[in-house]
Amino acid sequence: MCNDDDKAEAALTEQKAIMGGKQVTKTPSPTQTPLADSELVRAARSGDMTAWRGLYDRYAPLVHRFSAALGIPIDEREDATQDIFIAVYRSLRHFRGEAQLSTWIYRIAARHAIRLGRRRRTRELMRLTMLKEKPSITIDPSERSTHVATLDRMLAKLPPKKRTVLVLFEIEGLSAKEISDVVGCPENTVWSRLHHARAEMVKAARRMVS
Amino acid sequence: MKWLETPQDESERLLREGLDQATQRLGDEITHRRVWAKVAEGIEQPQPRVWGRYAFASAALVLLVGVGVVGLPKLLRSHGARGTSAAVVTKSAATPTVARAAAGANVASVTPVDQTALLESERVPGHVVRTRAGEHARVALGGGAEAEMAENSAITWDNQHRPSIEQGSAQLSVPHQPPGWRFSVTAGPYVVTVVGTRFEVHIAANTVAVEVNEGVVEVWRGSRSTRLVAGDSWNGPLHPDEAQLPAEKPQSIAPPPVKAAGPTNRGLQAAEAALQAGDTSKAIEILTRTAAGTGPAAENASYELGRITRYNLNRPRQAVALWDRYRTRFPSGLLRTEADLSIVDTLSTLGDGRAALAEADAFLAHHPQSERRLEVQKLAERLRAAESAAGQR
Repeated sequence: MCNDDDKAEAALTEQKAIMGGKQVTKTPSPTQTPLADSELVRAARSGDMTAWRGLYDRYAPLVHRFSAALGIPIDEREDATQDIFIAVYRSLRHFRGEAQLSTWIYRIAARHAIRLGRRRRTRELMRLTMLKEKPSITIDPSERSTHVATLDRMLAKLPPKKRTVLVLFEIEGLSAKEISDVVGCPENTVWSRLHHARAEMVKAARRMVS
Repeated sequence: MKWLETPQDESERLLREGLDQATQRLGDEITHRRVWAKVAEGIEQPQPRVWGRYAFASAALVLLVGVGVVGLPKLLRSHGARGTSAAVVTKSAATPTVARAAAGANVASVTPVDQTALLESERVPGHVVRTRAGEHARVALGGGAEAEMAENSAITWDNQHRPSIEQGSAQLSVPHQPPGWRFSVTAGPYVVTVVGTRFEVHIAANTVAVEVNEGVVEVWRGSRSTRLVAGDSWNGPLHPDEAQLPAEKPQSIAPPPVKAAGPTNRGLQAAEAALQAGDTSKAIEILTRTAAGTGPAAENASYELGRITRYNLNRPRQAVALWDRYRTRFPSGLLRTEADLSIVDTLSTLGDGRAALAEADAFLAHHPQSERRLEVQKLAERLRAAESAAGQR
C-alpha cells in the first residue's frame, strides 16, 4: 500500500488528473513539486491528455483574465478561450522553449483578442451604417457595479497596442522584456507605450470622476 | 512598488482598485470545465486543410454577394418597417416570440423562436421568451437543455445566466450534465437543480409546482432543499412567509423530503475553511460528521472525503475505498459520475491497469451519454493495450 501510494505520489502533479473531479485546492506537501511546463509540454506533445489537461488547468484562469482585460465580452469569452487553447494545442509542436510557455500563450491570446476586436468593430460599424443600430455593450452582470467595470470602460478607449502593453504590465505582471517578447517590439517601445497608456488612463479616470 | 499604490486623488484610487480587481478575474471552475469539454472535443477534430479553408471562404464570398444582391434591399426594407423606438410584437398569432429587452432601454426586438434556437449570446439577463394564447415554443436553454413552453408562458435569464420561469409552465429536458456541474432553473424564490432529467415547472399567481418525469431534481430555497425523483410532484407558495421555510412534502411516492440542510451546509463550509487554512485533519473530522447524516450535504461530504484523501493526504488507495463507499451508499447520487471517474483515474495513476480497465468499462456501460466518454474510451484502449502487452510478456 505504501509503495503504491509513493508511486502514485510521484505521478501526482499540481495539475488535476484527466478525470479528477473538482477543483483541487491542495496544500502542497514538501515532497510534492509540480511538473515543470517543459515536462508537461513534452508529455502533451506525445499525446498525453493528462498532461494537456494539466496545461489547460494551469493556464485557463490566466487566459480568462487576459481575454477579459483585452475587452472580449463575457458572452464571447468562453469561445475565445476555447479557440486560444485549440490554437495552443495545434502549435505546441512549434514551441521551442526559448520563451516561457506563459509568454507564448499570451502571444497567441493577444493576437486572437486583437483579431476578435477587429471583427467586432467591423460588425458594429456594419450595424451602425446599414441598420442604424447602436453597438450593444455586454457587461458581466457580476461586475456591473464594481471598479473593474469602470476600468473596462476606460481600457476600451485605449488603442489596442497600448491596451495590450498596459494590461500585460499592470494586470498580468509581466516585465518589459517579457512584454516585448509577447508583442514583438523593442523594450523601449514597451516603456513608451506603457507611459502613454498610463497617462491616458489617468486622464480618463479624472474625467470619469469629475 | 505598484503604479498608483499611494493614490493622490479619487480618480487614481478608482484606477488602482479597478486594476486590483482585474487581477482577480480568473473565471470560475464551472466555466473552465465547460471550456475544457469544448477544447477536448475541438482537438479531436482534424484541422481543416488550408486549401479547404480558401475554397470555403471563396464559396461563402460568392454566396454572400448573391444573398446581398437579392436580400439586402429586402432586409433594409423590413428593418425600416419595424422601427426602433417601440416594442414590436409579431403579427403571426401562431408564432411564439422572443422579446429581447436591450440593456437599459425599453426597446424589444422580436423574432420567432421556433425557427432558430436561441444563440448563446442571447441567453443573457434581460432577455425574455414569451408565448401568448395558443402559442407553444421550444427553446434551447444551453448545455443541451430544452424547454417546451406552454401557452401564456415566459422564460427569462437571471443575473447568474440561469433560465427563470416567470409565468405559465414549461417542460424541461436536460441531458446528463458533465461531472461537477448541474443545470439550474429558477421559479419565483426557488431554484430547481438537476444533473440530467425531464421535468415540468408551473408558476401561477400564488404557487410554484414541479413535476419530475425522469431522473432526480432538487428544489432549493436559500439553504434548504427537497429532492424529487421520477413520479414526484411538489408545490410551494410563490411568496413564502419568511418565517416559514420551504421543503413542502412531495405529494406522491418517493423518498421523504430531504432534511433542512442549514447546519450541515455550514459544516461543509467549515470543512472548506479548515482546508483553506491547511488544517486537513479538522476538515476530515467535520466531513466525517457531516457524511454520517443524510441528504445532499451528507452525499457531498462523502464524496469530498475521498477527494481530500486523494489530493491532500495523497492516499489514493484509501480514496478509492472512500469513493467506493460513496457509491454503495448513494448508488444514484448526483456525484456518482464524478466518483466513478475519480476511481478510474486514481486506479490508473496507481498503475493498477486491470482494476482501472474494469472500472473504465463499467463507466462506459453505465454512462453512455457522458461528455467524458471519449476520454474514458481512450484511456480504456490504452489500458487494454498495456494489459495485453503485459500478458504477452
